[in-house]
Parts: sequence; structure tokens; C-alpha cells
Amino acid sequence: MFQLPAVQFTEEQEAFRLEVRNFLQAHIKKGTFTPALDSWLSGVDTSFSKLIGEKGWIGLTWPKKYGGQERSTLDRYILTEEFLAAGAPVAAHWFADRQTGPLLLRYGTEEQKQFFLPKIARGECYFAIGLSEPNSGSDLASVRTKAEKVEGGWIVNGQKIWTSNAHVCHYMVALVRTSPYDEKKKHSGLSQLIIDLNAEGVTIVPIKFLSGKYHFNEVFFDNVFVPDNMVVGEIGNGWEQGLAELAFERSGPERILSTYLLLEELIKELKHQKNKDGLKQATKLLAQLWGLRNLSIGVAKLLESGSAEDVAIPASLVKAIGTKFEQSIPEIARLLVETYPNLEAKRKFDRYMAQAILHAPSFTIRGGTTEILYGMVAKGVVEK
Amino acid sequence: MSEMKEMILDAAERMLKENISKDVVDLLERDDWARGIWALFEETGMFKVAISEEHGGAGGDLEDLLHIVRLTGKYAAPMPYAETTFANYLLEKTNQAIVDKIATYSFKEGFILQNDIISGSLHNVRWARHADYLVARVDSFQGTQIALFDLQKATIEQSNNLASEPRDTIILKEVKPISIAPLSDEQLFYALSIETAFKIALMTGAIEKIYEITVQYSKKREQFGRPIHRFQLVQQHLAQLAGETAIAIAAFHNVCAAIQSKDFLHEIAFARIRIEDAITTITSVAHQIHAAIGMTHEYTLHQYTRRLWSWRDEGRNSPFWSDYIADYLLKQDVDLWAYLTKTIGKK
Repeated sequence: MFQLPAVQFTEEQEAFRLEVRNFLQAHIKKGTFTPALDSWLSGVDTSFSKLIGEKGWIGLTWPKKYGGQERSTLDRYILTEEFLAAGAPVAAHWFADRQTGPLLLRYGTEEQKQFFLPKIARGECYFAIGLSEPNSGSDLASVRTKAEKVEGGWIVNGQKIWTSNAHVCHYMVALVRTSPYDEKKKHSGLSQLIIDLNAEGVTIVPIKFLSGKYHFNEVFFDNVFVPDNMVVGEIGNGWEQGLAELAFERSGPERILSTYLLLEELIKELKHQKNKDGLKQATKLLAQLWGLRNLSIGVAKLLESGSAEDVAIPASLVKAIGTKFEQSIPEIARLLVETYPNLEAKRKFDRYMAQAILHAPSFTIRGGTTEILYGMVAKGVVEK
Repeated sequence: MSEMKEMILDAAERMLKENISKDVVDLLERDDWARGIWALFEETGMFKVAISEEHGGAGGDLEDLLHIVRLTGKYAAPMPYAETTFANYLLEKTNQAIVDKIATYSFKEGFILQNDIISGSLHNVRWARHADYLVARVDSFQGTQIALFDLQKATIEQSNNLASEPRDTIILKEVKPISIAPLSDEQLFYALSIETAFKIALMTGAIEKIYEITVQYSKKREQFGRPIHRFQLVQQHLAQLAGETAIAIAAFHNVCAAIQSKDFLHEIAFARIRIEDAITTITSVAHQIHAAIGMTHEYTLHQYTRRLWSWRDEGRNSPFWSDYIADYLLKQDVDLWAYLTKTIGKK
């Protein structure tokens, strides 16, 4: 089950990598954005998203008729990896590109694909992911937000929480209960609806992150009408539909590189100080990153050809191990280079250190806690 | 990767699986080894893999050979397969005639060439007491060379590693080599790197086996009325074991892929550093899951964990490769991301 292919990138892929890198470096020089850690979740910049859209770099793998480029999963891997390594503010369109697009391509109606995908690809339409609720965290199947059938659509009542960037998103794909809650059959009766976040009855309340910044929210639904044509896939099939995309969500480079900029700055500082002993210790981090990239890229390669089920376990492992690695970078870096972490510091090392420390707790929680992932992996390996 | 790969590997795995029991691995502790499987390997051409056809090779490439070495690690095969094939690999790379008996090798400094004769001693030479030939580094005022010796002309003092594998001292007194060839610093470094890849292969094999037997054990063993894999804290161990195993296997595959290209030193360095890290977690978790039974000689787990604890300190290990990478980063004006994505100097 762990026989993942070793990928050697082609010359075309290498050229594409350099094209993306040069583009991003030019924009850093121009001052279009200031590199920051964890930028895929907290770096919202809608004009930058539109710029990326113009380049054709959102929905890269999607069919051309929906605004995509029909490029490979590995090309997309390279693209996202370069965004992360440059600390580019890609959070606004991230979830629509990563999750909503593939979901609609697989389960959406022709009308939904034609309406949403080109807008997403242009970097003009952002989606929030509506999963967690106040009493449904890791136990996701216990969600209580309900949708009741009315003529022409559904009436939604309930609440989502910890919704990243809902305040800048246009829509949410929400997991809601379309049949009454049954303790014994929690996973059935769930459906995925696209909710217009500007609709009447939707209230978005920001939640301050511990750093004092805003990127997640509470979203309340009070008799919100969702027309029938905004149901994704089949009513009652929401759980299975949601699970299918998890391999993409969990195995990507964003589970490895959230604190990469700090690692890069650490190596720069150690080189500058000619601290060879420090560099020797830091090579352990580089070897960890190397090992995780092998796994993550191997999963991407398999996703290109095979089914997501074959890679469910390695994909969960990428997230479980990758996020712990992301957390370990500041812990090791602070022992090797003297620092006083400060979000406003002029010295990059101190600034990135502050960003890394304050964001670190979220890495092993968001998108499936390490505990849930370990449980899934363990169950998976004993079943084989 | 050659087309023959699947066929060769299937055959090798079948032979190892059918013939290596716990008792066979234990032969080492009675100063014996798996001569029967050795003969089977000889009959089926397993020693000629990755040897060129002009030297009597059977086809197959270095990657195929590394995979067979991985399998010998997976079954703890008590025979000098990696040693003999690597000794022949060295001979061929330095344009010396290969040998068709048991051979071993050493890169340690210790043999001195003076007036055409060689004297000195080498410690911890793998399998020396059972080997017919030795391929070893020889130093002199003319520089470093690599020579082939007939071990009948040597004195051997026996010693073992933690896994009871022979690691002997070889003493030469004024011996003439069978053949000798120059070895540049660059060639030496290259050879040491390939040797590290052999070790990575062996370690990966042992890791695969530990993973298999540990998962099996967690299903079979019951406590408090249920199999122990149902307990969340045991599940955490299993997940960590699975993670480190997956990383090790992927590291090995990436070394194999890189070795076909010219630029593979850094891959080998990262793989060795990472796998040594994995060994710490894997051996500790596997023993913890097995608890008392895993500590008995009667059970097989130690046949793999003892090997990993030995192999990780043999050859070019993690400290060496960390030093190598640190040196590289210090001396070169490299952008880290370009280095990691292998796009240095490209615009």
C-alpha cells in the first residue's frame, strides 16, 4: 500500500516551475505582495487572485470549456508548491481551486459547472467550506444544520463555525442534514448545498484568531432559501461526496510548506553566520522535507491516474506527518539562531518566527486533526 | 528500470520467502550461514544482475540489484549477497576482473602499499571469515588505490555486530594483491555513495518486514477482550509506524530513480539521514506494540531491529551526510528552494 511512484519532473514541467517562480519573484520586487507564512490560508488578496486567474493558474487541470487549462495534476502540484514557497497571498481562491472545482466537475450539474467554474478560474468567485459546527468538530457526521424541502428548493437553518475566509467568499459548499438526525445512521441523510453567502438570512460573524487577525468566522443561517439547482450531486449522498475529495485536500504541499519561509530564512542566517554546526542540525529538517515531498508528489502522481481510494492512507499520512514537520521548524530554528519573535519585526527571521509560532497550533487541527488521521490510518492498515 | 525487474524480483522473493525461516537466520549465531539459498541465488544468476554482459552479466541494472538487496534485508538473509555484489560492482567500475566466489569489501584506511606489497589491518569487515576475496582501499605515497585480495593470505580475527553478522578484523602481512587499480577521490566518493544506497536498500527491506509483522501482531494479540489495534494509543503507534515506513519506502524509490541520473548524491544523503530518523521511531514503536514477546530471542522481531541498530552505524551514516550537505550549503551560493527542487542555476 506504500508503493508510491518516484517522480522525475519533465523538462516542460521544470520550465513551467521556473515560469511561475519568475512571475512571483517579479511581483515580490514590484511590491505586489509581501511574502508571509501560511499564506494559503491567511493570505487573502483578491486582486492578486484575479491576477493569478488572468494567468490561467486557477483551475489549471480543469477542462478548457469551463475556463481551465487541461494541465496535469503534477503541473498543478508544481504551481501550488511555488506559491507556497514564495509566500504568495493565494487564500481567497484556494478552496474553490482545490475543492469546489473538483467537486463540481465530479458531481455538479452542467448548469453549475458552466455558471461557477469559469468565474472561479478567473479568480472572481471564492468558496468557503462549510463543515464544522459548534458541536461537530472531529465528529463531523453529527452536523445538525438542517435543510427542509419547500417548493423549488430548501430552507436552511443552523450554524457553521471556523469557516476560513467566509467574509471574502461569495458562496459556501455546506454539509447539511436533509433527513432527520438518526444516531445510528449519522452518515446518511447528509447533503451538499451551495449557499449564496449574500442571501437573505445569512450572517457572518468574524472570530478573532489568537494572533488578533481575522481569517475564520461563524456563519449563521436563518431560514435561508437555497434553490434546487444549488444541490451538489445527490440528496443524501453528501458524506460520500465529501470523502472523495479528501485525498486532494490532505496530501497537497500546503501540508508541508506552511512554515517553509522560516526554514529558508534559517538556512540563510546560518550561512551568513558561517555556522556549520547549525547547518548540520538543520539538514535534518531538509531531509524531513525531502521525505515528505516524495510522499506528497507520489500521491499526486497516483491521483492523476488512479482513484482517490488507493491513496487515502498515504494522503492522510502526508497531512499527519507534514503538519507536525511544519510545527517543528520554529521549535528547531529558535535553538539554532538567536531570535526575538515579533510580527512587526524588520528582520525577516524574527517576523517569520512570530508568524510560525502563532499559526502553528492550527496546522494539526484544520482539515482533520492528527488524532482523527492516526485513527483512520491505523484502521486502514489493519484492514489490508 | 529494466523490463526484467518484475521477473527477477518475483523469483528472488520466492526463493527468500520459501527458504528463510527463523532457524535459518539464527544460523549466524552458530557461526554458519544460508549456504543453500546462496546456491539457489547462484543457479538463478542473482549475482550477475547489474554486471555488464561483456563481463558475463545477466542483464538488469543497478536499480534491479538494489531491489534484490532490499529483499535480502526484508528476509534478514544470512548471506553476503550485498557484499559480494558490491565488491564485484567495484571491481567492474575500476576495470578489474570480477570474481565468482564470495567477496567482501572495505573502504577504511588501514592497508598500506610499500614496494609492491601490502600490509595493515582493517576492522569490522563484513563477512570476512566466510569470504574468499576482499576488495579494499589501499593507500600509498602514490595515492589511493583499490585492490583485490585472496583472503587465504590474510589473518582473520572474528567479531560480530549487534545482529550477530560477521564483522571481522583482517590483517595482511606483506601480501601481493591479485589486481590493483587507481581510485581517484571522485571515484572513491562515488563508490561510497553507491555503498550508502546498498545500505538504504537493506534498511528499507528490514523496515518493510517490521511493519508487516507488527501490524499482524496487533491484530492477533488480545487484551481486555479485544485485539490491541482497537486501542487508540496503540493506533497512534501503528499510524506512526505506517508513516515512517511509507517515508522510508518512498525515499528508497527516489534513490533508485535518481541513481539512473548523474546527480544523485544529495538524494542519497537525504535518504540516509531520513531513514536513520525513521529507524529510531520504527524500532521503538514495533517493540512497544509487541511488548514482552518482542524482547525474546524466540520471536523474530529482533532479527530485524538488531540489524537496523547495526546497519545505521555502518558505512557513511547520517552525521557524515549532514556534514556533506552543510558543507555544500556553506560553500555554494545556492537558493534553498532551487536546491530542493533541483532547479539550481536555471532561469
